[in-house]
Amino acid sequence: MRLSLIVNGMEHELDVRPTARLIDVLRLDLGLTGVKEGCSEGECGACTVIVDDKAVNSCLVLAGQMRGKKVLTVEGLADDDGLDTLQRMFIEHGAVQCGFCTPGMLMSAKALLLADPHPSEEAIRLALAGNLCRCTGYATIVAAVRAASEQPAEAAPPPPATGRDGKAV
Amino acid sequence: MTKDLLYVGLTYPVHDAWQKVTGELVYGSDIQLPGMLYAKLLLSPIPHGMVTSIDSSAAEALPGVVKVFSHLNSPADVYCRARLTPEQELCPRDETLFSEHVRFVGDRVAAVVATSQAIAEAAMTLIDVEYEELPALFTPEEAQRRDDLPLHPGGNVFFEHEEECGRSAESRDAVVVSSTTTTPRIHHAALEPHVCVVQPHSTGGLTIWSTSQGVYGARTVVADLLGLDYHRVRVIKAPMGGSFGGKTEYILEPVTAFMAQKTRRPVKLLLDREECMIATMVRPATASTIRTACSPQGQLEDMEVATVLDAGAYASSTSDYAVHMCQKITKLYRVPHYHHRSRAVYTNTPVAGAARGWGAPEIVTALEIHMDNVAGELGIDPVDLRLMNLRHPFEVDQVTGMSLGDARVRECLERGAAAFDWSTRRGRAPGSGRFRRGVGVACGAHKNGMFGKFAEASNMTLKMNEDGTFELGASLHDPGCGIVTVMKVIVAEVLGVSPDLVAAGEADTSSTPFDYGTFGSRVTYVVGACAKATAEKLKEEIVTAAADLLHEPRERLTVERGEVHVQDDGQRGVAFRDIARLSQMRHSPAITASVTYYATSNPASYSVQFAEVEVDCATGLTAVTDFLAVGDVGQAINRGMVHAQFQGAVQMGIGYALYEHMDVDEAGRSGVDGFKNYHVVNAPDMPDIHVLLVEHSGDDGPFGAKSVGEIATVPTAAAVINAVNHALGTSLSDLPATPERVLAALHLEEVEGG
Repeated sequence: MRLSLIVNGMEHELDVRPTARLIDVLRLDLGLTGVKEGCSEGECGACTVIVDDKAVNSCLVLAGQMRGKKVLTVEGLADDDGLDTLQRMFIEHGAVQCGFCTPGMLMSAKALLLADPHPSEEAIRLALAGNLCRCTGYATIVAAVRAASEQPAEAAPPPPATGRDGKAV
Repeated sequence: MTKDLLYVGLTYPVHDAWQKVTGELVYGSDIQLPGMLYAKLLLSPIPHGMVTSIDSSAAEALPGVVKVFSHLNSPADVYCRARLTPEQELCPRDETLFSEHVRFVGDRVAAVVATSQAIAEAAMTLIDVEYEELPALFTPEEAQRRDDLPLHPGGNVFFEHEEECGRSAESRDAVVVSSTTTTPRIHHAALEPHVCVVQPHSTGGLTIWSTSQGVYGARTVVADLLGLDYHRVRVIKAPMGGSFGGKTEYILEPVTAFMAQKTRRPVKLLLDREECMIATMVRPATASTIRTACSPQGQLEDMEVATVLDAGAYASSTSDYAVHMCQKITKLYRVPHYHHRSRAVYTNTPVAGAARGWGAPEIVTALEIHMDNVAGELGIDPVDLRLMNLRHPFEVDQVTGMSLGDARVRECLERGAAAFDWSTRRGRAPGSGRFRRGVGVACGAHKNGMFGKFAEASNMTLKMNEDGTFELGASLHDPGCGIVTVMKVIVAEVLGVSPDLVAAGEADTSSTPFDYGTFGSRVTYVVGACAKATAEKLKEEIVTAAADLLHEPRERLTVERGEVHVQDDGQRGVAFRDIARLSQMRHSPAITASVTYYATSNPASYSVQFAEVEVDCATGLTAVTDFLAVGDVGQAINRGMVHAQFQGAVQMGIGYALYEHMDVDEAGRSGVDGFKNYHVVNAPDMPDIHVLLVEHSGDDGPFGAKSVGEIATVPTAAAVINAVNHALGTSLSDLPATPERVLAALHLEEVEGG
């Protein structure tokens, strides 16, 4: 079936199976493999994307339901000016280990900050309740989201010169 | 040991954090190759029986299906998925690619290879298999009783191990305490499912993308099974979304390689969550009975331990696991006479094998619950009892005969007890209302590599580019905890340059030198020491080249922050980048160093952990409300990541103590098939984890560093259970302490306590 949807600001006209899930279209048709599949039943949150400003498990919705909606994946977080504040804070606070939960965590956190720019710690933890991580114990992730919520909206500071690893070669 | 360090001990992101936050990193499960086929496994729905017929005609008739595989068209050769080297011991070969004799719900019966995942899945349901069922054995107790029903030739008890040392000091007035602790079968729960991609070549060779913890072992198992020369099997470590031991062994590599070889097309085998849970590997369920005799004051005089491990349907690495469970207790405590028997038993349940801590969480949970029982019997504080018996630095572990090294477990306990305000909190009454609070402590020990067992070594090559940057050639396997970054920081520290100037990648059998892989708590201690030795050798090469350029004797040269200086002549020196560039056409085309580093020690790493819990006596639910983890890590290389290792390890240990288990029902089916019925601790459930590091740098690891990733989770569950028992006055020792078990224990306490 024909499907028109807007992903990361770009409009796509696709021909998809009626049973295709949103995650299938994102990963297979659009090559957006930052959308991760960890459980296929909406429990792990690795496939979280933002649909019209709300966090959605892309394994639980059919692509056909997204007709005309705006979908944001982790690939769409950074812009020409560089990484999103959340992405920078995830790096700086050591919130990334194996990284398989990271895209989903980022998108759940982004949806939270869109709705509530200055959430309490409890609100952060609740917003991430549907995103499982087996590496971190969540402490660094919660710290990263809190730090992002405390950053001024503009004038992002440059990363520290020392004590941080360089971009991978 | 100087603490004058430039880069070691600071905090760094994992090396590929940028690619991970942007979604750019291609994980194993993201790999797509031109012409690639997709495989779907058909798993046994019965726990034990014989496949009597397979009709795959309907599946094969489905458009897009390329081939259906089963025991009918695959080799019957047996192999061991856990084997790293051709001559390795304790690797019973009992598994085939596809089973005719199925031994658990989840055993591989057949596989469909098709042009899409959807077609493969649809075709799998069209395969008609008939089975002749056999009686199934679901517990080691049953399996040991039923000699008449061996799951494999040789019987159900396939491995026994015994350690005994010392002479009993049991006195006439000794206080004797016995207790039995059971630990559950659990799912590793790495977020990325198991996956393997194999590309066959017209030369007969294969390229395998493996999300395992050791590419050379994958090569050994696959090449031997398929009869290929080792140099024709190239295994590349693909980025992986966690392992925790669950991807240590070669579960998917052999079957995927076989299917790619036969179809002559690239094949991807990606499991779903249920398949990961039931058909890959689990942490073994164990039962340990400990009997101790100690003086009325609390001095241990004698210890007798018996452990039974449930290996599941295939041996995998459980034999070695059984050995290692006998090698932890004497790392922690002075025991005049120690006798430990362990046995591994086949059952018709999911295959058990490697899991973070390799037997230490299992036996330490039993030991530390037992130590609290002893403290209770004697009426002394659990911290005092432990201090009376814990090891001192540089004592010899009588089981392994090796020094424990700069063992600082006592300091961990003393500093932790002070930081946690243990005495005050332990002295508080737990309360008698609905919500009761308690605190618990536990100590744990683990190792640093495999020295003492075989030649523990690693080798690497480091080169300097003409612009003064560096590239480390090493077989690194990063499960996601930052191994690559650790190596970069170590090299940077030796050379006095920013870690940004050092590149390192992961393992590829065609281009990086032999290394066993990431397990045995060997990476920081052994592989890291190799990185340090290699960087030191390269530094010597740089000085040699600089001496030639500066026309000065080497003895007059010093290296500092990326430059070689002439001593006592502040003006004269040459930067690394100039050395590389200028010396290239004079005497050295490339400045490189290769080192094979042999470990000569295997000290213990320790962690002591303190938990506070609140138990709801109405529902039986336990909340961990505060937690302190103290680690004897020698020296943190990447400080933030060491803290994070403890935080994540405690999360895993809390799950082990309170929530996670995979029981099988009377039909042999696992009670779990996804995260909806398998509770991984989530963000709202996690307390703050305070981390305290004890850093004495007294051992042979790089800059004194010791292992952290495994030891960090070793004592967690016992600390939590001991806190629950303190809160309730119970003696729970069956994990996990689910609400049902907590309520049952409370009821028992009320009945018995009057």
